[in-house]
Amino acid sequence: MSGVGESLRESAVINLTSATTMVVDDSSFGLDLTCQALRGFGIRTSYTCQSAAEAMEILAEQPIDLLVVDCEMPGVDGYELVRWMRRSAQANALTPAIMTAAHMRRSRITEARDCGANFVVTKPFSAATLLERIVWVARDQRPFLEVGDYFGPDRRIRDQGPPSDERRAAVIRKAAFDAEQAGRAAVENDQ
Amino acid sequence: MIDSPGGVSVGAALAQARANIEARRAEAMAVVEVQIAVLEAVVPPANLEEQAYRLDEAYRAANAVIDAASPFELLDLCSAASGLCDLIDGAPADETYDWRIVTVHARSLRLLQTLPLEEVAARATVLESLRMVAERKLAPKA
Repeated sequence: MSGVGESLRESAVINLTSATTMVVDDSSFGLDLTCQALRGFGIRTSYTCQSAAEAMEILAEQPIDLLVVDCEMPGVDGYELVRWMRRSAQANALTPAIMTAAHMRRSRITEARDCGANFVVTKPFSAATLLERIVWVARDQRPFLEVGDYFGPDRRIRDQGPPSDERRAAVIRKAAFDAEQAGRAAVENDQ
Repeated sequence: MIDSPGGVSVGAALAQARANIEARRAEAMAVVEVQIAVLEAVVPPANLEEQAYRLDEAYRAANAVIDAASPFELLDLCSAASGLCDLIDGAPADETYDWRIVTVHARSLRLLQTLPLEEVAARATVLESLRMVAERKLAPKA
């Protein structure tokens, strides 16, 4: 089971503190809101860029763990940035990319599918949706495919419904987390 | 990485993210106000050459309203702005655009922004009017 499609449980424990993340949005307020949500998830945004050009300079050199990028930007847009990253930024060719869109033009739907992004999230979306997509890409085991002009994760996920079984690894981690918390509480009590 | 020791529960992460976003509500409302004003100020185009540029201006303002309003689940504003984006996106480039569509959406967004949230019926009426505009304008031509 890939974990993709798994719903988030409130009690599940995630650790994203060491993720090197880049957020790209031409709107400074949009950039800030995304970073605030990520900060809540325990993710410290390493790079914030207000243009694709700025992002490209960094992506060409620095490997990152997650890219969150706005689809609509003046000049080089989010689709072009992701396509470029897959093809030209060797350090980040396989980096998970989540795209966000306030509204998607009909003419861009094909581009959204073909640019190589892992997911496109259209607004309005909640913090829960964003976190769910991040968890999905973190556990995404889809192979990368190169087919014609396309290079990106396998897009054939239609038949993979959300798995309902409890993930064994998550249960084990939750138990370990609870034990760790209990241990800390016991030490504090002793002091 | 996500399964490495430590971290935070999903419940706590979401609560913290929502609190962080909520702290930006006043700023978001100011952005919504500015973008509605931008939309209201878009000048109707004088000819087809100018039309694409003016429509793009209106589209970007409506997009920015969704950007600012959506994290706060102001769904009425998002729905009205998204409807305008659909109508601009669906407009043939070689035909004169009915600019009343932009005007009525700008006025409706202003109304939705100023109407108290408790005015559920009035808000629904505004959205229903916009839905009818969209239905009429996006209907396939016979």
